[in-house]
Amino acid sequence: MRTLVEIALRNLLAARRRSALLGTAIALVTLMLVLLLGLSKGIEDNMVEAATTVSAGHVNVAGFFKSTSTSAAAPIVTQKAPVRAIVEENVDGIEYIVERDRGWGKIISDTGTVNVGLNGLIAADEARFFAELEMALESEYAEDGRDEAIGDPRRLAEHDTILLFASHAKQLRVRVGDELTIKTETNAGVTNTVDVEVVAVARDMGFMTSFTAFLPRSTVLELYQLNEMNTGALWIYLDDIDRSAAVMNDLRGHLADAGYVVMDHDPNPFFFKFERVQGEDWSGQQLDLTMWKDEVSYVAWILAAFDSLSVFLTLILVAIIAVGIMNAMWTAVRERTAEIGTMRAIGMQRGHVLLLFLIEAVLLGLLATGVGAGIGALLAVLVNASAIDVGVEAVQAILLSNTLSLSVTPQALVGAMLFITFFTALAAVWPSLRAAALRPVDALRHTE
Amino acid sequence: MNSLATLRVLVEMAIRDLGAHWVKSLIVGSLLAFGTFLVVTGGALLDSISTSMEESITSSLAGHLQVYSADAEDSLELFGGTVMGTADLGEIDEWGPVRDTILGIEHVEHAVPMGITQAVVFGRSEIDRVLEALAAAVDEGDVARQQALLGHVRTISATLREEIESRSITSSDPEQAAEDLAAVEEVMSADFDARLAEDPGEALIFLDTRIAPLAQDGQLYYLRCIGTDLDEFSEVFDRFRIVDGQMIPEGRRGLLLSKRFYEIWGKMTVARNLDAFKNRLEEGRRIAGDATFENLVKANAAQYQRVLFQLEPGEVGPLMTTLKGVMGTAAPDSEAPEEILEAFLLVDDDTFAARYDAFYEHIAPLITIYELPVGGVVTLRGFTKSGYMRALNVRIWGTYEFTGLEKSDLAGASNLVDLVTFRDLYGKMSAAQQAELEDIRVEAGIADVSRDDAEAALFGEGGLFGSQERTIEEPEEEELVDEEELDEEEELDEAVTASLIDDRVYSKAEMVEGMVLNAAVVLDDPVHMPVVQAEIESLAESEGLGLQVVDWQTAAGIVGQLTYVLRGVLLVAIFVIFLVTLVIINNTMVMATMDRTTEIGTMRAIGAQRRFVIVLFLLETVILGLVSGAVGGVLAIAFVGWLGHVGVPAVQDILVLLFAGPRLYPTLSLGNLLTGVVVVTAISLLSTLYPSVLAARVPPVVAMRGKE
Repeated sequence: MRTLVEIALRNLLAARRRSALLGTAIALVTLMLVLLLGLSKGIEDNMVEAATTVSAGHVNVAGFFKSTSTSAAAPIVTQKAPVRAIVEENVDGIEYIVERDRGWGKIISDTGTVNVGLNGLIAADEARFFAELEMALESEYAEDGRDEAIGDPRRLAEHDTILLFASHAKQLRVRVGDELTIKTETNAGVTNTVDVEVVAVARDMGFMTSFTAFLPRSTVLELYQLNEMNTGALWIYLDDIDRSAAVMNDLRGHLADAGYVVMDHDPNPFFFKFERVQGEDWSGQQLDLTMWKDEVSYVAWILAAFDSLSVFLTLILVAIIAVGIMNAMWTAVRERTAEIGTMRAIGMQRGHVLLLFLIEAVLLGLLATGVGAGIGALLAVLVNASAIDVGVEAVQAILLSNTLSLSVTPQALVGAMLFITFFTALAAVWPSLRAAALRPVDALRHTE
Repeated sequence: MNSLATLRVLVEMAIRDLGAHWVKSLIVGSLLAFGTFLVVTGGALLDSISTSMEESITSSLAGHLQVYSADAEDSLELFGGTVMGTADLGEIDEWGPVRDTILGIEHVEHAVPMGITQAVVFGRSEIDRVLEALAAAVDEGDVARQQALLGHVRTISATLREEIESRSITSSDPEQAAEDLAAVEEVMSADFDARLAEDPGEALIFLDTRIAPLAQDGQLYYLRCIGTDLDEFSEVFDRFRIVDGQMIPEGRRGLLLSKRFYEIWGKMTVARNLDAFKNRLEEGRRIAGDATFENLVKANAAQYQRVLFQLEPGEVGPLMTTLKGVMGTAAPDSEAPEEILEAFLLVDDDTFAARYDAFYEHIAPLITIYELPVGGVVTLRGFTKSGYMRALNVRIWGTYEFTGLEKSDLAGASNLVDLVTFRDLYGKMSAAQQAELEDIRVEAGIADVSRDDAEAALFGEGGLFGSQERTIEEPEEEELVDEEELDEEEELDEAVTASLIDDRVYSKAEMVEGMVLNAAVVLDDPVHMPVVQAEIESLAESEGLGLQVVDWQTAAGIVGQLTYVLRGVLLVAIFVIFLVTLVIINNTMVMATMDRTTEIGTMRAIGAQRRFVIVLFLLETVILGLVSGAVGGVLAIAFVGWLGHVGVPAVQDILVLLFAGPRLYPTLSLGNLLTGVVVVTAISLLSTLYPSVLAARVPPVVAMRGKE
């Protein structure tokens, strides 16, 4: 085997120019694949980060309360304490739990209005949230603003304050320190208003923050005249996000055992469910358990679209290089017919000839994909380090971030290398079989 | 040797060589053919999308150019942006002079004034419906009907009492709950009969203001409204057509709902779900075995009380008998209407068609299918920029859609109103209102009144247009309704005047002249777009109109940007594919050259110049490129022809708009083919350049040495 590898390596070196050119093509395709995977993973990472920062915990225990079977559904868990106790008792590996209150209202400034979801939080419990959130520079949302982040999100601990996202601050033409009026709109036409102070402005995260603002829990409760016993949702953060589904299903059983009515799993954000819940014939409290993915299902199409495009492009490219490789191997087999004949004549088995050619292809594949993957990884590091601002609103919305970020994992690198190498070897199978099929006599005679 | 003869020899040799090295020719040729196919097909698709998108955007809302105020803080986004709120587009204070200027420019055919604003509508709850009937009964003096309806009010009040009691679990305000409870108890007490008999107006106001707001079963609608000169609009945008009801008569105020909005948001849930199921089934999907579909059907069946709740007690029995008849043996044994209805709605692939028809035949006539019905009146509430709320009643004359864009949520996101209604909603004061505001200032001796204060003074309680003294006994004040901007605190008047509507016929000038936000400019031919755009800009500057002009793609906002993204992604993909193809072809050619060193050496030895060799090699690939380009082109013609026949389905909502319909039928232009030929020739030349230089370097002596 070692001999075979040595011979293969020597052959590659002998046909240096051919190897180099073919290797370039393979490296190029690997580079493309690595970048595509990196972009896809980058969007996914942005999605996970944005989702679990502003839209959901890994697992969410929320619910709806209906006073009568026909009344509108309020997105609340009426008695949060016992529910939280059950969660804490039965779920292993909880990092922490936060409570979020859910509302919907209009934010009004002197010059404009926006409609947003009002998320109530308890600042003292939100260390992670504050750490994850990226503050916007004042110049990003205000004309003649300073090039520094003004304000302190931790001031959400104070009553009647608000944290806005940059696009809203821009639309409302406000900056940190300004006063805003919030007006809730309920189905009954009842409106409540409250005046709040802007304490911080955070960077947008694409579609995810288009309808989001954060307030202290006390302000949201006041707006909806809710008492302290309620919460909108318990957001559970686990030590491992991949356990979300298992934990959710497990918890569903525990809560049902404790006598709660748990709604069937509906993999959609809570605000899609109001109409359905209102029309159903029940009253009182029902709990609704979801995973982080469910609460952001409305952006899942971005990844789906991107991934199908990547697959399409990769397949075409792989087909093209497969043609190139096959052609190169053909030429090699023809050029080296005499050599093969000699080797066969001095006792080399057919299997070994086949193996020799395959090893050549695999070696070339590994080397070239290695170079391609290396350049890809380097490019990704450069792109991330230079924090390229994409500028175009539509692209920002799709990337779920203002900057281009490529997330290249070692698994993706190895995966791309193996994938391309596999196809390189596959393309070499037929020419190799032809080489192996040569009879020593014919091969030796073939000297032109 | 003359050059023509040389060329003939070269061509003959090139063709012979291509045949001799047929494996290489086949490989390079198929790559080139594939490349041509890709360029031609991709180009045809992109062009077709561009054309269809231009068609759908310019012929629905945008026109070719859009003008709006140069003072705008935000950019115009005709189809809405990512943020839900009001954009500051500045204002064009007087449309007349701007229109005259624009229409004076050559190639401009039409200029359609517009204004975009957001309105909220609170759908009626069950008690609203009953109270409306009760008010009518009071007007008619029909005591028996009054009694019956009061009975219905009490049934609802009993539910409300239950609701308030259970709501106190979540409420932070027990005092409010106690007050609400007292109000409900009062209606339920026998004394209320006397109150209604004695002073029906007062009793009705009490019910309207204290009881009705407690009900929470109404629906909240956000209406994106575009105010425009509807006569002009319908004439200019030829995709526009009325679906239900009628066009707003000339000079009248009113609302045209988008058919899409009407069917999706305005339709009763159960009916809308059944419609959606019908669509899915028509697309060839089946309920059985499709877990998502099954869940949707189950969830819809669980909505049975939406139907039940609307039925009068006397209607339930006969309807259930009918439904059982429709279901036949599948009918449940139970007599409970809840169970019968749920079972009826739990359709499967076999029963769907019959039950769908039965729903519309037997159930629909008994219930409200459309919450905002054509012919009805709704109260639109708009927010002025400073958040001040205004409410006005408008008639829904009909629904409209853009032909081809029926299924596009984006194209169907906007509802249309007349310009007077738009100005009322937007909160722009008319000249008369401004004059009166000036009087207030003088009277009050205030030097400066901020906008908030001004609006409060004008429309607030006790203000000029505040109308708290109006009661139901004074219907003669109806003519004042066009100035019916109500303060939201004045629930009282709002409720009482809910049936009042401005039915005046406006003159064309009253409708059109005045403030607008933007305008669509339609040209006789889009090729003049840049010229006209520049001309409007220079005229706006010289005449001080304060305008900016954008083309339709910019005016489409994020939708327009997405098409750039789509184009960009496709171009990058094609570029990458070509780069890789280039390398592979280059590689193949280099190897082929190596194979032919002896031959080249021989040619050189018998007197061929280096240039001859280079040209020979290049010619080989050019011929190969042309032949395979032709093959790829023919394949592309066949493929695009096939696509043009079956259509590319618009799987995403935005694609419906881009494709100007549910399917894109791409066409191929000569330009696409020429691009394909040029690109492929360039690629083949480029990829042969290096190998042919290599070949030219082969010294004649190699031929003598024989094969290495």
